[in-house]
Amino acid sequence: MVNKRVPDWLNSSMWQSPPPASTTTAAPPPPPPPIKPPSPPSKPPSVSSSDGSGNEAREAREPAGSVQKTEVRDPLLSSSGGNEYDADPVEDVSRQVQLSQELSKKIINMGELQRLASLGIPDGAGIRSTVWKLLLAYLPRDKALWSSELAKKRSQYKNFKDDLLKNPSEVTREMEESTSSQNGDETREGKGLLSRSEIPVDEHPLSLGKTSVWNQFFQDTEIIEQIDRDVKRTHPDMHFFSGDSASAKANQDALKNILIIYAKLNPGIRYVQGMNEILAPLYYVFKNDPNEDFVINAEADTFFCFVELLSGIRDNFCKQLDNSVVGIRSTISRMSQLLKEHDEELWRHLELTTKVNPQFYAFRWITLLLTQEFNFADILHIWDTLLSDPEGPQETLLRVCCAMLILVRRRLLAGDFTANLKLLQSYPSTNIGHLLYVANKLRSHSHS
Amino acid sequence: MAAYRADDDYDYLFKLVLIGDSGVGKSNLLSRFAKNEFNLESKSTIGVEFATRSIRVDDKIVKAQIWDTAGQERYRAITSAYYRGAVGALLVYDTSRHVTFENVERWLKELRDHTDQNIVIMLVGNKADLRHLRAVPTEEAKAYAEKENTYFMETSALEALNVETAFTEVLTQIYHVVSRKALDAGNDPSALPKGQTINVGSKDDVSAVKKTTCCSA
Repeated sequence: MVNKRVPDWLNSSMWQSPPPASTTTAAPPPPPPPIKPPSPPSKPPSVSSSDGSGNEAREAREPAGSVQKTEVRDPLLSSSGGNEYDADPVEDVSRQVQLSQELSKKIINMGELQRLASLGIPDGAGIRSTVWKLLLAYLPRDKALWSSELAKKRSQYKNFKDDLLKNPSEVTREMEESTSSQNGDETREGKGLLSRSEIPVDEHPLSLGKTSVWNQFFQDTEIIEQIDRDVKRTHPDMHFFSGDSASAKANQDALKNILIIYAKLNPGIRYVQGMNEILAPLYYVFKNDPNEDFVINAEADTFFCFVELLSGIRDNFCKQLDNSVVGIRSTISRMSQLLKEHDEELWRHLELTTKVNPQFYAFRWITLLLTQEFNFADILHIWDTLLSDPEGPQETLLRVCCAMLILVRRRLLAGDFTANLKLLQSYPSTNIGHLLYVANKLRSHSHS
Repeated sequence: MAAYRADDDYDYLFKLVLIGDSGVGKSNLLSRFAKNEFNLESKSTIGVEFATRSIRVDDKIVKAQIWDTAGQERYRAITSAYYRGAVGALLVYDTSRHVTFENVERWLKELRDHTDQNIVIMLVGNKADLRHLRAVPTEEAKAYAEKENTYFMETSALEALNVETAFTEVLTQIYHVVSRKALDAGNDPSALPKGQTINVGSKDDVSAVKKTTCCSA
């Protein structure tokens, strides 16, 4: 029984199987190619160190004697084959050329960049790292301004680190130093006496005063422990983020620094579980840039891009806004409405017949920008599209969520509460190019 | 044979919730019980996650529908919606982090504010394998559980210690409450019409007694 509100295009066989590769390939699609080497200069274990493609720079950075980490399980390499729609090498190469051309202009045309990037950024050549920084308005359109802008931001970040990441003993010692130098009291040392710290009562560790730096410190400790726990379990299946290697530890430290600084600069929201998942793709992409300058400054660059990205979605993290029109509940309802608009039969079955409240699955989908639903390579691909939306990621995200439901509609229509909830809580791996295609299709229909 | 019974072939369906501070091991308790799996570093739970498993109590098949919730305070307002219809709860703390035990009181209040008063609660001290790091003495927790009138057990999801027992105990206790209620009402629970709801969890829409339509698969 087909609901009469379902438009024809929805019942097209296209929804159930990937569409023809693209309009440009008349010939049958070539067999799925091995996905091109990703931007991180990772190598199979047997290959020796220098292959001349920017790897030397990276090698040079590594402390002597350290073993270059072999990212055997690099997600970009483990991307499933058979994605003729999005992994078409002809498409990829031509898009890479187009993006490179756009990036070579003195002043970048953002509209064009957004259009190209929304189709997916090829994984090679470090293009994604630069494009994402542009999409998040961290890099200005005018390339002549890049170096001054980067220098300014990076020094600002260094100041944040200096000011916000030191412990209270350092703060009180500095307070004391500045007082003693003001008094011109620099003769003590000469007398051979050990100086005794004059700690103001308010700044004593055992002081109960609310303004004490120690009081603040103890409050922060709870948040820092939470951040610590969550950073350790961010993509625990990836060597880049997890494990005992020096590089994984350094990457974890960078994520921690960013989250702590964000929490301290934003006392209204602080740290909310899940922010780590939003941060991870940004840091991964920037840290794997072929340009060494970007690698060294990945932490600072990531911080500002994280702030920018979060500014568009932070209401989802804010408990106080849960019941407001901008809060997570209302965002989930909008997704549900979108589904109802496009596929009322499925909507009815999910929400009325099997009583699967969209909160049960879409809360995580939306809050985490789908970062726990797909493998890492697929997440990056989805994010190319999310970040390309000039209005911010949310509207595109809702269409992608809706498309995820539509792509498994047959299974959902046959499922009961338990089967459907299990399916949606561990969404099957899918052809991302196709998913994004369907999501985009919802855009053109949503106002008809 | 039980192994061949269809997934939805059960006599009782009980909804359980797993609650407690972030990082105490709720998700691993669930994956140990539902799938016999354990991850040393598992992703943090955002919102809720869901799993089911059926066990046999007396001669009945009891299907547990277990909801694993996010631990951080921010998510509490959202997750409390998931308590609806729950007839059992495992309130988990970490035996190696005393603060997670101190917060048990807040979680209990949360439960009592949002669920039926007959809900079966078990206080669960997880990570009992971290013997050298123990911060909450067994006796302290046991005394607290007695005072609050909840069941109590120490578990280790890592070593698969007491996990099975903890869930089974809670499900069995719920089963007893339900069958006692049915008897009080003069009903044989197995004689109830298919899908009729037993009022153990108040306005419960999940926990139900279902008459098995077919004896074996």
